[in-house]
Amino acid sequence: MKLKINGVERQVAADWQNENLLTVLREHFGLTGSRFSCGIGQCGACLVHVDGIPMTSCLIPVSEVVDKDVLTIEGLAAEDGTLHPLQQAWVDERVPQCGYCQSGQIMQALALLQNTPQPDDADIDRAMSGNLCRCGTYTRIRKSIKKAALVMKEAG
Amino acid sequence: MVQLTRRNFLIATGWVAGGVTVLYTLRNRAVAVAPTIIIPNKESGAAWVQIRSDGSCLMYFTRVEMGQNANTGLAQIVAEELNIELEDIEAVQPSTSDIAPIAVTAGSMSLTAFSRPTAMAAATLRESMRALAAVKLGEPLSMILDDAGGFQTADKRKVSYADLVDKDSVMVEFDDTKPSPALYTFDPQRSKKQVGRDATPIGIRGLVTGAAVYTADVPMQGVLYGRAIKPPVRNARIASLDTSGVAETSGFVELVRQGEFVGVVCKTPSALDAAMSKINVTWDLKIPINQDEIDRLIDVDAEMADGDLEHVLQDEAHRKDADWLIDLRFDVQTQSHAAQEPRAAIARFGDGSGAHKLEIWTGSQDPWGMKRFAAMDTGLSEDDVVVYAKRLGGGFGGREHYEVERDAVILARAVKRPVKVQWTRKDEFTASRCRPASAHRLRIATDDAGNLSDWWYGYITGHVVFSRERLPGWLLPVARLAGDMGVVKGALAPYSAPHQRVEYKDVDLPIDLGVWRSLNGAPAIFAIESAMDELAVQQGMDPVDFKIAQMKGKQPRLQVCLERVREMSGRRSLPQGSGYGRGFACGIFDDRSFVAVSADIHVDEIAQEIKVLHMCCVQDVGMAVNPDQLRAQAEGNMAWSVGMALLERFEVADDEIKSSNYDNYAIVRMSDMPSVDVEVVDQPSIPPAGAGEVALVAGPPAIANAIRNATGFRALRLPIAFADISS
Repeated sequence: MKLKINGVERQVAADWQNENLLTVLREHFGLTGSRFSCGIGQCGACLVHVDGIPMTSCLIPVSEVVDKDVLTIEGLAAEDGTLHPLQQAWVDERVPQCGYCQSGQIMQALALLQNTPQPDDADIDRAMSGNLCRCGTYTRIRKSIKKAALVMKEAG
Repeated sequence: MVQLTRRNFLIATGWVAGGVTVLYTLRNRAVAVAPTIIIPNKESGAAWVQIRSDGSCLMYFTRVEMGQNANTGLAQIVAEELNIELEDIEAVQPSTSDIAPIAVTAGSMSLTAFSRPTAMAAATLRESMRALAAVKLGEPLSMILDDAGGFQTADKRKVSYADLVDKDSVMVEFDDTKPSPALYTFDPQRSKKQVGRDATPIGIRGLVTGAAVYTADVPMQGVLYGRAIKPPVRNARIASLDTSGVAETSGFVELVRQGEFVGVVCKTPSALDAAMSKINVTWDLKIPINQDEIDRLIDVDAEMADGDLEHVLQDEAHRKDADWLIDLRFDVQTQSHAAQEPRAAIARFGDGSGAHKLEIWTGSQDPWGMKRFAAMDTGLSEDDVVVYAKRLGGGFGGREHYEVERDAVILARAVKRPVKVQWTRKDEFTASRCRPASAHRLRIATDDAGNLSDWWYGYITGHVVFSRERLPGWLLPVARLAGDMGVVKGALAPYSAPHQRVEYKDVDLPIDLGVWRSLNGAPAIFAIESAMDELAVQQGMDPVDFKIAQMKGKQPRLQVCLERVREMSGRRSLPQGSGYGRGFACGIFDDRSFVAVSADIHVDEIAQEIKVLHMCCVQDVGMAVNPDQLRAQAEGNMAWSVGMALLERFEVADDEIKSSNYDNYAIVRMSDMPSVDVEVVDQPSIPPAGAGEVALVAGPPAIANAIRNATGFRALRLPIAFADISS
């Protein structure tokens, strides 16, 4: 059983093949940036992209993503460490408080900008309302998405 | 390397018991269940900051990080005192073996209690380095001037910290009889480089790349997965237990029963889920768990009809039979912390080769407390236990007790392997100690001029600090007699009346209770600010003018907040049409933090919803060390205000906690979040006070007052539903 994570092909050991994708990412491969929070796909802390589609990894059996491309927060920055414009905007606007949900927030925002490069407030409400942040950093998340959208537009 | 004297170093590293202060322990360590409350002094503070032989600065984070970024503020203070940049500081989260015990991170006291000792430690270091510079440059001490990263003489001969320290350690001797070094941070005349600027929180990069390490992220060779069942309430006893089939689960390792503790260890998380789902347990409860029972226990009217409430906070020429213009009862709901990270702990018992027999990784607000409790629990000496404090995915008062740590310790000991325990979301809702429900009766009368003449406020709430689990049963009545400091927060209004009485009673409720952001502050101030608003409206007066007048000039800082928030909100006009309204509220937290909030709302008849459109917040917590992070806390508090006013509804029924996940306990989402403007009033000459839970006291009443302004409906019960207004 193998899948591609952040461009690297990985083999899932036999002991881990009955787990969900989130568990395999975290406990088997040590990619702990995606996080467990609700366990029922209601909060978005574990959100990753599977073949380009945002999905809550706590709900997906790893057996369902065999041979697929998985993108996690660890795969977002460039190899030289340059942050993705969304990550950079998150830093510039000083979004995170406790930070636990922010990987999922950024991955959801990435999906939003891929479909809607210049989102308005209603687009942001629609796309981001499944990603909970108990600290309440929403105003800064909104600002950062708009800022990153602008940067990405200028970069072409 | 500059270090401490041996005596101080011993104290700082905990080799010498440095006065472990414990609330209400009466010298009996067996009942040391209160959190660690040591306030740092100059000696313990000195161990937190070091200049290393390469001239770089090492700083121990003395606060547990959970999003408040207090450590960044403390690092700004160190940078200010040492004339270095924030980037020059390497920040390390210490284990409980690295430095002397430090108080629980709670009560928004981080900067209040830690700013001065931190400044003192860094300034002492700076001045001892200056002495070394004087020797090196062959000049008298008075000729050695500050320079970035070191010192210089008037003729620009420079020497850096790196030039001054060599590989040999140098001890810095503290002498209490000598005057304290100048503290740049607290000099209001000084133009500051670090303190007072918007500094980006240390470690933010890890939070946007996934690299930050929370407890469950700690890599651990050979770790197993464990969990214990959580009773609906902690004093429940197991009535029946059926574990048949558990041991047959694929991946099962161990079932552990120890009194009321029932836990399982498995090889993988899914095996653990499967094994746990096979356990059937029923509980014996002391009191039935349902909302009617809670309502009965906090029935303030029934209790006040019977006579005085148990505790009296204020009693001046009280008149029971005044001509009450306001006579309203406000009910505030139970609320859960619902932090994004379900709490976790990893425990590992050593093979004897390491320095410690037991290692614990946990995101606790009280690492030194965890160490103490784990030692008591296992019979190990405290020196044998080390706690590695990890970042918390949200605290809000809910992470002070030895609980998930205990689960991990018991299970790891049973299987002789490291065990990771992370509570499920349902465990979090069941066993996080809630903010208690409360009921408030407020009566206000005025004189002929319309000024307050009589004020009579009585309330009943569940316990906050002196909850059942915090203290042993025999001590509870003693402690409660003295009064629960969590229960009285916010109860004294900033308004004056010649005749006034404030009384309260705190009671046991059938659910577990504890510290929750603002404690009783938000519930009490919701009642006070709603009642004052109602009185103003009924008298045809502007609520802001009326409140300021009734402060009688005794609350200048609060008055400024209220005036400024009115001005701020006025810059944006309320949309035309029906259902729009604006409300104001203000409040004081812990005597030193002042806030005023405005809310613009829309009661939308078509969408059948109450929507908060915009909020303004003006906050004065003294010196603004990092204004951006003060704004961040205020923004978060506005989100919590919307949740408390409109959304959060903790459900109990049929002897169970029904709220179990985010699908049946709503917290604020992006689409619920209003736009927010925050203004910070900087007071460079006033030491910083708490900021983490201040604005939450004024947000909910501002929203309720805006609904009154829009519709005429006075909210008497939280959360407010659209249906409440139309009925």
